[in-house]
Amino acid sequence: MKRTAAIVGAAAIPCGKLMAKPDAPLQVLEHELLAGCVLDAVKDAGLDKSSIDAMVFAHPRVYTRQLYFATFVANYLRIPANGVVMEVLGDGMTGGLAFDQALDQVTSGRVDVALALGVNFETAADTRAHLNNSMRAVGDVDFQASCGFTPISWYAMDAMRYMHEFGASRGEIASVAVKNRRHASLNPLAQFREPITLDEVLAQRIIVEPLGLLEVPPRSDGAACIVIANEELARNLGRPYVRIRGRGFHHEGVHQISDIPTDMMAFVPAARAARMAYEEANITAADIDFAELYAPCTIVEICVAEACGLLERGKGARASAQGQTSLGGRIPLSTSGGLLSRGHPPHVTPLYGFVELADQLRHRAGNRQVKDAELGLITCELGNYNAALIHILEAVV
Amino acid sequence: MSSLLPIIKMPGRRAYPPRQSRFTHNFWDQLEHGRFTTTQCENCKGLTFPPKAFCPHCWSRSIRWVDAPSKGKLYSYTTIHIAPEIFSIEAPYKVCIADLDGKLRIATRLVETDAELTLDSPIEIVILRYEDGSLFAVRPQTSRTA
Repeated sequence: MKRTAAIVGAAAIPCGKLMAKPDAPLQVLEHELLAGCVLDAVKDAGLDKSSIDAMVFAHPRVYTRQLYFATFVANYLRIPANGVVMEVLGDGMTGGLAFDQALDQVTSGRVDVALALGVNFETAADTRAHLNNSMRAVGDVDFQASCGFTPISWYAMDAMRYMHEFGASRGEIASVAVKNRRHASLNPLAQFREPITLDEVLAQRIIVEPLGLLEVPPRSDGAACIVIANEELARNLGRPYVRIRGRGFHHEGVHQISDIPTDMMAFVPAARAARMAYEEANITAADIDFAELYAPCTIVEICVAEACGLLERGKGARASAQGQTSLGGRIPLSTSGGLLSRGHPPHVTPLYGFVELADQLRHRAGNRQVKDAELGLITCELGNYNAALIHILEAVV
Repeated sequence: MSSLLPIIKMPGRRAYPPRQSRFTHNFWDQLEHGRFTTTQCENCKGLTFPPKAFCPHCWSRSIRWVDAPSKGKLYSYTTIHIAPEIFSIEAPYKVCIADLDGKLRIATRLVETDAELTLDSPIEIVILRYEDGSLFAVRPQTSRTA
């Protein structure tokens, strides 16, 4: 029988530019930072190292010199394990897949405690040189990359189409960035904490039309670790924990765009994954208290919130501008500050989302606490939400 | 057979030339000859792009090469200002998603955009001829070219 599982511990380092330039005399080493997160997360759980029986790592970026990173870290931390020790990879979904695989280790009964963890270092690599690589991930290398698409150019086209179809204004979409920065100002893990105004967002230089610098993701390094345990063990620890209530995944069998015309902004995989997760949790979208959404650009937060049923289709931009998605609003979104302001170390970004849910649902998110938070939803994705992985988490306090 | 597509002479070489396989060679060869082609399934009649040696919809291996629709509508576009290093010299440039004849969606470069662009306005396929070979792109369909 499938067992229920819980998050019992979580830790991360503040997102930022942590990676040293290649010629710096002192380098910052990925495994040193990650080991700190693991020790903190396991302490947070009230467990000791002997309880850990599986580790699922987000695969590091190509800039990480140490290869076979998972097995290297198993040695570095001296953790023998009967469950898996492995790395997973899936574009922006990577950290979410690490969580999901670790979760499977526990719910299948294979282990009692599993870690989902990872480190993403990339900021010392020049942005344009980095794009030479990432453009190969977001389109057919021969038939599309030859045109020079960048990852966020696809989201920019979502924005153009969204404005065209629903009559949303630039300001309404940009309001997401202002709101997320306000949330980030309350998050010690956030990379950008200085509040910004709508005028400032709209005045930024354009990166991909219509999106300016503050509506697209920053480049970030980061490291995080989540401790997952079977619920019986979690209960016996005698402290608040976070139950995994529902889970959904859907890949639409499409890479960036379908060759058969579809409604691109409907984010169908997110809608399907959300429906699966709601069914498993036996709730509806209206029961969700807050959500941590994987949204590299302002427009993406709007489209995915609509797909998950948290905002009304075509009206999400207006709802954001009206403050419905702010802390204190009807449905707070991206309370961490989201990818735009909390930071976006892509391969571990979803792990940061789980850290936020673990804080919110154990009612220790400080000034950004969602009052009486009981149910939270988290998404991650790859491509242009061609695949979505969604979990619903519940407070047990 | 449709008439040959407009050809636009481009300076220099392609920044990131596509690879050709024994199979896709036909597409690029036809493009050199002024045709924008793809494969259609003999079984379910489904179109696909890029061309494939089988039908991705029903997995039939019975396919044939056809002229793809060369006119359609602009579904969306953007202007890329921060580009990959190998495209930096071309930035800013426009890319788009276009729906050809309402039944085949492609993503490609958008060129010759003098006037203001409106989504859902008519576009057509053009061939960009570089020193080392051709690429395809989309341009607005004006009264001049309609």
